[in-house]
Amino acid sequence: MKNYLMTGVMTLTMTLFTNSTLAETKIGAIFDLTGGLNIYGIQQNNALNLAVESINANGGVLGEPVKVVSYDAQSELSKYTQYANTSVLRDRISAMFAGLTSSSREAIRPIFRKANIPYFYSSLYEGGACDKQTFVTGSSASQQLSVLIKWAVEKYGKRIYIMAPDYNFGTISGHWIHEYAKENGATVVGEDYLALSVTDYAPTIQKIQAAKPDVVVALPVGANQTGFLEQFAAAGLKKSIGLVSTNYGSGNQQVVVSPEAGEGLISSMGYFPSVDNPANVQFKKLWEAKYGDETPIVAGAVDTWNAVHLWAAAANKAGSTDSNAVIAALESGISFDAPNGKVTLEAGSHHLRQDIYIAEGNDKHSFNILSTFADSAPAYENAKCDLITNPKTVAHFTPEDK
Amino acid sequence: MELDYLMTVILSSLSSASILLIATIGLAVVYGLMGVINLAHGEFLMVGAYSALTATQIGIPYPLAIPFAIMVTMLIGAIVECLIIRKLYGRIFDTMLATWGLGMVFNQGAVLLFGTVSPGIGMPQYSLTIGQYSLAIYPLIMIAVAILMLAFVYFLMTKTVYGMKARASIQAPQMAQAIGIESSNVNTLTFAIGCGLAGFAGAILLPIIPATPSMGLFFAVKGFLTVVVAGPVALTGSAVTALGLGGGSSITASFLTSVVGDVFFFLMTALLLWLYPLGISSKWRRKL
Repeated sequence: MKNYLMTGVMTLTMTLFTNSTLAETKIGAIFDLTGGLNIYGIQQNNALNLAVESINANGGVLGEPVKVVSYDAQSELSKYTQYANTSVLRDRISAMFAGLTSSSREAIRPIFRKANIPYFYSSLYEGGACDKQTFVTGSSASQQLSVLIKWAVEKYGKRIYIMAPDYNFGTISGHWIHEYAKENGATVVGEDYLALSVTDYAPTIQKIQAAKPDVVVALPVGANQTGFLEQFAAAGLKKSIGLVSTNYGSGNQQVVVSPEAGEGLISSMGYFPSVDNPANVQFKKLWEAKYGDETPIVAGAVDTWNAVHLWAAAANKAGSTDSNAVIAALESGISFDAPNGKVTLEAGSHHLRQDIYIAEGNDKHSFNILSTFADSAPAYENAKCDLITNPKTVAHFTPEDK
Repeated sequence: MELDYLMTVILSSLSSASILLIATIGLAVVYGLMGVINLAHGEFLMVGAYSALTATQIGIPYPLAIPFAIMVTMLIGAIVECLIIRKLYGRIFDTMLATWGLGMVFNQGAVLLFGTVSPGIGMPQYSLTIGQYSLAIYPLIMIAVAILMLAFVYFLMTKTVYGMKARASIQAPQMAQAIGIESSNVNTLTFAIGCGLAGFAGAILLPIIPATPSMGLFFAVKGFLTVVVAGPVALTGSAVTALGLGGGSSITASFLTSVVGDVFFFLMTALLLWLYPLGISSKWRRKL
């Protein structure tokens, strides 16, 4: 028995060592598989694995199968930096796919910059991240809000109220709402920035009624803030005031809120499961075969799927997984036929040109698409961030620092 | 300031305080009667919410789902008492650590069982109009629920034989045993009742706060502080504290911002604990 055990341990050790010396392509993944943020993280990780499977089934990258080294950040920032370092030093990955919150991205961005490894961030966010190694496949706040505010002002009227979370996603989005309101001749009549721990929305509901807006731009993050939507509807405000959002549905909030509260809420994002195109049909078929159809697919999952495919396409195009070659290929105007329509990676800003959809919540915990803004450019990022002429730029641009 | 605005602020602040009290009573009972701080209280609330949600999903009407949630949480509470709490009496920090860990297990268990998003049951779409303002009815009903809950627990603990036994078993366990009280059984029941109250809270608040695996965390912090500020006269003290801190922070949030409301809550907590290190009720001459 002891002998068997010893042999077992020996073989295991040997496989471990031989594995690390094999010339196969490894990519890293750090997502929140447990803890409060896992409503996003689990799906991002699922999408990554699905993308790698489909790439491997179609011959892999440069003829070799891709291997994933996956970590669970447990919704904790310290885990992100720890695993980012591990993946660089021990796993020797060729590319990294990680992060949900902006704080997690900012925590690990320097690590991949120093190691010169392409890093893909796949979530909608406030916008403005800029450096040579970072590639963003989610939509940015200005990308979504520019179309949404114009649409909302035309549909509901010129008085806008802002309800947003009290951290940089909320406050920077708030800044963009002010800017686009001015552009469209509207005024912001009130704003409320709320901590993520707030569960009591009665004060906000009263302030909204006192300000008498035509439309509320609500950016609820996390499970608690979803309660706001329920209370907004129950107080009878939905009848007279419109509610629009850039992230309602990004964590499947439309499943949590009741049909009565969810019907008629407007969301603008880079992906909805009801997007109608052949790539999405194919993607949903693959997804449902592997993960079932109980939970709708979130935008962050599609952003991750796109990121992996863009990286694979770039590596195949470059003929190497070497970082400099891959980054050069990624900057060659590469595009991908994605579930959310064709996406194109902007060479200068490392952000995606992509379709932005405006959709309306229906009474079946899902969305009907109202309009599609095809091939929307990340205008703010393109204006601020040009990594072709200034490859040494390392910044996180915010609209305050002009 | 218009009168209608003032009225809605007062009403909604009362309902905020009531929601905090509903979520806290179970914790206050367990702490007040057993000297055990149950840091898994928030997770019991979550278990109650999911039990009620599951019950409604299999077709049980919501009013019947609430007693179901109470039974489930009481049962789990009794098991936890027998397996864990019983071994740690008098070791308050060890109990806190153990229940904190238990909370993590429950939290992750809920992720595995229910996934990360579950459909909510929605709030009854009725509203009350005062002048130019309208308020959702359901949160206002919570004021009555909190009063009833308080009255029920007070009656149970002071006027019934069980209540006397429960207080005897924890205050003078040897004497209680000498006169024939099975103090360990009584303690199991007390802990189960505390958990049942948490389960009730999770179920009754379900339309306001949707069930998510991590929902307990936010209540745990504020509930815990409420109980600590309340001090030894757990029940009355918690009622007063919830009204003062919860109501006060809601009023502050109405006139300023939610962040200032939270600042008010935590600053007042710090101030009160500085003035009354043993809790505001440390010199009260009441039983509960």
